Amino acid sequence: MSRAARVPAGTAPPGMASDVSDPGLADGGRPRIAWARRAMPVLAMVADAAAAEQPFAGLAVAACLHVTAETAGLVSLLTDGGGRVYLAASNPLSTQDDIAAALAARPGVTVFARSGVDRDTYYEHIHRALDCAPDLVVDDGCDLVNTLHGQRPELLAGVRGGCESTTTGVARLRRMAADGILAFPMVAADASATRRMFDNFCGTGQSAIDGIIRATNTLLAGKVVVVAGYGPCGRGIADRACGLGARVIVTEVDPVRALDAIMRGFQVLPMAAAAPLGEVFVTATGSRDVISAAHMTSMRDGAILANAGHFDVEVDVRGLAETAVEIRPGVRPHADEYVLADGRRLILLADGRVVNLVAGEGNPADVMDISFAVQALVLAWLAEGAHGLSAGVHGVPAAIDARVARLALASQDAEIDVLTAAQQDYLDSWRQGS
Amino acid sequence: MPAEPAAFKVADLSLAEFGRNEIRLAEHEMPGLMAMREEYAKAQPLRGARITGSLHMTVQTAVLIETLTALGAQVRWASCNIFSTQDHAAAAVAVGPYGTPQDPAGIPVFAWKGETLPEYWWCTQQALTWPGESGPNMLLDDGGDATLLVHKGAEYEEAGAVPSAADDDPEEWQVVLSVLRDSLTADPRRWTAAAAAIRGVTEETTTGVHRLYEMATAGTLRFPAINVNDSVTKSKFDNKYGCRHSLVDGINRATDVLIGGKVAVVCGYGDVGKGCAESLRGQGARVIITEIDPICALQAAMDGFQVSRLEDVVGSADIFVSATGNFHIITAAHMSGMKHQAIVGNIGHFDNEIDMAGLARLPGIRRVTIKPQVDEWVFADGHAVIVLSEGRLLNLGNATGHPSFVMSNSFTNQVIAQIELYTRAADYSLGVHVLPKHLDEKVARLHLDALGVRLTTLTKRQADYIGVPVDGPYKSDHYRY
Repeated sequence: MSRAARVPAGTAPPGMASDVSDPGLADGGRPRIAWARRAMPVLAMVADAAAAEQPFAGLAVAACLHVTAETAGLVSLLTDGGGRVYLAASNPLSTQDDIAAALAARPGVTVFARSGVDRDTYYEHIHRALDCAPDLVVDDGCDLVNTLHGQRPELLAGVRGGCESTTTGVARLRRMAADGILAFPMVAADASATRRMFDNFCGTGQSAIDGIIRATNTLLAGKVVVVAGYGPCGRGIADRACGLGARVIVTEVDPVRALDAIMRGFQVLPMAAAAPLGEVFVTATGSRDVISAAHMTSMRDGAILANAGHFDVEVDVRGLAETAVEIRPGVRPHADEYVLADGRRLILLADGRVVNLVAGEGNPADVMDISFAVQALVLAWLAEGAHGLSAGVHGVPAAIDARVARLALASQDAEIDVLTAAQQDYLDSWRQGS
Repeated sequence: MPAEPAAFKVADLSLAEFGRNEIRLAEHEMPGLMAMREEYAKAQPLRGARITGSLHMTVQTAVLIETLTALGAQVRWASCNIFSTQDHAAAAVAVGPYGTPQDPAGIPVFAWKGETLPEYWWCTQQALTWPGESGPNMLLDDGGDATLLVHKGAEYEEAGAVPSAADDDPEEWQVVLSVLRDSLTADPRRWTAAAAAIRGVTEETTTGVHRLYEMATAGTLRFPAINVNDSVTKSKFDNKYGCRHSLVDGINRATDVLIGGKVAVVCGYGDVGKGCAESLRGQGARVIITEIDPICALQAAMDGFQVSRLEDVVGSADIFVSATGNFHIITAAHMSGMKHQAIVGNIGHFDNEIDMAGLARLPGIRRVTIKPQVDEWVFADGHAVIVLSEGRLLNLGNATGHPSFVMSNSFTNQVIAQIELYTRAADYSLGVHVLPKHLDEKVARLHLDALGVRLTTLTKRQADYIGVPVDGPYKSDHYRY
């Protein structure tokens, strides 16, 4: 579709049609959204405040996110808060079509997302979302912000700011900012403490393993599982794999993270040494070609390859396809078998794309509750304007992180201590010593 | 050896007050034993019992001893290991709850930390010698040394001679033969008479139980035995959770080495090995298991441990712990091939799991004592390994053994077993027995309140559905927990 046929910049036609796989799936999507909402009490509390305060009144929000039942909670919050949401998928395979249909049926929401699109359609959907001339952007992986800067520069001036969900996306934003390109403030929602501890560690840790098990039904007890990357996601994956009785080997490029893995009792090896040992491989690095074709040729027959990182470059899928003498797609849903010259078979999950969202259901609602609550509060804060934020990458204000944590504690009836005035003085003062 | 036994022998009576304080604290942590005292105070089921105990003379054992006496027994006690005695506990037991160091009024106890082998066997004999009697009428054994002395003594008396020691006999065996040789000379019917008077033995540990089953199979067992080790509330708790606690305690107190990040090898994945593996893993070590039993090996693999042969990992691991109940698991050749300052220890009952004699015979080997129960052994090429407690069980040698609460489980089983064998000897045939399951469950029940456990009760219909009484026993004998 040519650019000329697109809606001119600056106008957002009412009733712009959504593009979803099957609007009829909405009836199936609604109960799942309701189910997720039950496990998202923090977001519900923030949504109540948003409905009362209408921070997004009159604003257009272009969002590029995984279209899941949990994301539906954030989208609802934005519309309840007065905004209009234009949602594209942040991964060609991760869209849950019933959720997309249910969201598309809601007033104030327009959805451009289908599971299993090709690359062109994927980017087409992002353009359609941008057609709204957004005031705020919500991104996951930086494809929307990248497209905005590269191909829709006329829209940049209208954007107050936005937030980015994932580590890989934040890394891209920082590089854009370093090159002086980033035109508005973007908040790195992935880098907050709550995000690292809960979404990355607990959420990805659990859901990546879940995705692998749903895709293969393999027993993890007693198996050698190689986890590439010992950041918050890798740590979570390693921990949960251990919990199922696996023997985990970690690979790393960062010496501090490598030492952390060793101190926690994991063997750390170069991938070349781990490749012949592993039975299941999971990448969580944010880098590319972490598992290369050369590594794959030394793997055991039946080794399973999965990626938990945002983009599908961590496992060199193209290299694997070139090395294989035969490809048997779909030996199980989300599992393709690649046969090497000597007959050894490697099983690639989810085409090397983010396994927890493709083969599983993504991070559980309970942790997305916290992540999305942080993002919602960040967006409301950005919507206020001012704050003197420069174009560039900013952290989540600590007060927002703490507020969300308090709401999460309250939702669990967990009580904590309060500093006394004397304690607060002590912590604020440098005079008290020995 | 004097004809009249000594009243007691401990390291230092002035430690009694410290010992008494720790005994008092331990009583609070040993609800099973205290419940036994309360239940049986009136009935005095052990009145008339003369119990010889051969069991690590620790604070926890003191509470066991004073439970036995509270139930009416007389006791004479020795430790079952040269390093495991806690001298303040021994002093408190000798002084008793109502005596003073100047005027001891406790029980005859013969135990101190750091005995020589001849001293150890002297202590054991003292505990077996009852003034005016042929000996004890009950044995309470841990590892079977008291049982051994009685059985071998009687065997050699029947043969009329004690065999000579072979040159390659372990030093300890040479001491035993020497003791029995002297005894045969002094009184050729001493042990035969002693064996005849013993109603039975209650045995605490895997290794001692193994010895009993061997004797029973060979037809040489002279009195019935209760295998306390294989009460579920003993071996699935003491052996596993006790070692989980006390292994790293012993390693910490001995070496203060950081365990996180180290590679540790545990030889053996039985109940003790399982506890040891968890102990080290819990502190961040990467644990490798060695095993000869395919079932245990598969368990270890499924629990996420690498299972290798010792030869393959001996050069790369930092810590080695033997927990097999077998001998010469870690040899001099293994130790020669270890990394500099690798730590080597044993948590099995006997000290032959590590070939200490073989190590000492290596050409050019040199021993440097770092502190009591911690020795550096320097090879001819200058590299060294650190050996704990001379290869004797390191949790007792380098620390204080298992904590009170888990020993309450074990020792409540011991008290129940002593009562059973003493009061119902006729019901126990010559052989090795385990306590019935309802008593095993009773021991567990006695420890629930202290941990805040709220137990669910079966309805009558539920009980009928699975075919058990509402109050238990809840499992068949072949259930493995």
